[in-house]
Amino acid sequence: MRQIIILGRGGQGAQTAGNLLAQAFYAEGLQVQTFATYGGARRGTPVTSSLRVDDKPIRARCNIENATAMLCFDESLLDKNFLRNAARGSLILVNSHQPSEAFSGLGDYQIKAVDGKAIARQNGMGKVVNSALLGAFVRLIQEPNINTMCQVVEQTAPVKQAQNVAACRMAFDLLQQQL
Amino acid sequence: MTTNNDGTLLSGNHAVAWGVKLARPDVAPLYPITPQTPILEKIIELQDKGLMTVELLTPESEHSAMAAAIAASLTGARVFSATSSQGLLLMHELLHYAAGARAPIVLFNVNRTPASPWGFWPDQLDSLAQRDTGWIQLYSETPQESLDTTIMAFAIAEAANIPVMVNHDAFYVSHAVEAVRIPDQQWVDQFLPPLQLEHKLDTQTGRSFGAPIDQAAWNRSRREMCDAMTKVESLVSQTGQRWGALCGRNYGPLEHYRTAQADVLIVTMGSMCGTVREAVDEMRQQGQSVGLIKVRLFRPLPGAALREALVGVSTVLVLDRNYSPGMGGILHQELKSALFGMEKAPQIHGLLAGVGGVNVAAEHIQRWVSQYAQAEACVDSIWVE
Repeated sequence: MRQIIILGRGGQGAQTAGNLLAQAFYAEGLQVQTFATYGGARRGTPVTSSLRVDDKPIRARCNIENATAMLCFDESLLDKNFLRNAARGSLILVNSHQPSEAFSGLGDYQIKAVDGKAIARQNGMGKVVNSALLGAFVRLIQEPNINTMCQVVEQTAPVKQAQNVAACRMAFDLLQQQL
Repeated sequence: MTTNNDGTLLSGNHAVAWGVKLARPDVAPLYPITPQTPILEKIIELQDKGLMTVELLTPESEHSAMAAAIAASLTGARVFSATSSQGLLLMHELLHYAAGARAPIVLFNVNRTPASPWGFWPDQLDSLAQRDTGWIQLYSETPQESLDTTIMAFAIAEAANIPVMVNHDAFYVSHAVEAVRIPDQQWVDQFLPPLQLEHKLDTQTGRSFGAPIDQAAWNRSRREMCDAMTKVESLVSQTGQRWGALCGRNYGPLEHYRTAQADVLIVTMGSMCGTVREAVDEMRQQGQSVGLIKVRLFRPLPGAALREALVGVSTVLVLDRNYSPGMGGILHQELKSALFGMEKAPQIHGLLAGVGGVNVAAEHIQRWVSQYAQAEACVDSIWVE
């Protein structure tokens, strides 16, 4: 079973990202369970979205303590407390303008940094980073297919569908070049 | 909405809203509260899209929402409301009133820690603290079960003339998005015909409800509730079977999971049941004879069925996601009481697991089974990590 945690601050779209990623896996025929937890629906407070993906129905209803992959919307949240729930060697994507090497001291993980904000801005998305981060993340974990991901983004984006899809694909391509 | 052959991706709360839509209530007084609000939002959205027609009332508090629900219900309307934690506690006075007035309201409660301290975490104390109000209480494990139970709850409430409270855990069910099958409206219409109340408020007849009465009449009202409550367990079974015949998903007051020849049984309610299933499968694989009894119907507690389920079992572990200060786990207390006088009763360990929403993973459950399977039980509930 794949176990994924997405962490962001309220208003950044981490919960939406978890739902979109779940929809893309589901569209590819896999079973999913995603749930968000937050300490109050306020902008700026940490929000966690958890996602389980499997080829059979998912029954466990508890927190993920051994994530196989993580997506962090805000580098200020990427600390030991967050990483405690990551399995050794897990794949972690962090939204940061710093190079990936800046995070190599955090432990035995494969951490990749991507500048989601810059990609969002280049594609006319302002500060909305979730479509860009999803593009990079599906490249890092190598599933679901980027076309499926872009389709979900296009179908669900309330506005700026083309810009969202462009940001998603650009981030995917950028990481593709780095890996 | 993403849909494939396995169903539509819905959160537990949105699944409830779909259940409400299919049950065609006439009136829904609602007040928002985290983590219930998505139920209210989805109902408003379905109404806005023209998919349902319900008289939505948005009063200034949960107390007023329940007051409106009672009045509407007594006119013969089918009534739904939803709340959580502080909201349910604010309704408390009127929960007694609704049950005493025999108003067949369906209330969906999202189980969340009551303040103080302030929190938003899964914990069943909010609804368990209402166990003496006279409402039927059902607990759901999954979004699918929450949808199905919402519909069944109307059938149960309207057959028994007792209000029904359906509960699911905050976040683990309320916000869990997964594949849910939305039943056909035709099936639901066949299952749940329009409500025809025998006694109702009507300006033509000039009858009233709830007038002051003498001691003997009040006493009789409780004896009548007592009679009605004794019929609920079989009503829940029949309703679950009738639902199962329509859509293939059967539900009863209890669910047995891998209980055949079990030495150790875990008894719990709500979302933890899913994690227990994982733990049971793992332990069975290792040769341990462990099973799960899921309690769906908590009030009235199906005591006879529980006694029968525990015959020949050496150890029972009750997992309580609630804590009654000065007493312990509420399901633990209820189960001990249900087994009163049982010959060769099993050792019952009450474990305070997941109180305040702390994580309960399958590994924790396996560890508790090995820790307590051979131990002598004590009367008090035990805090476990």
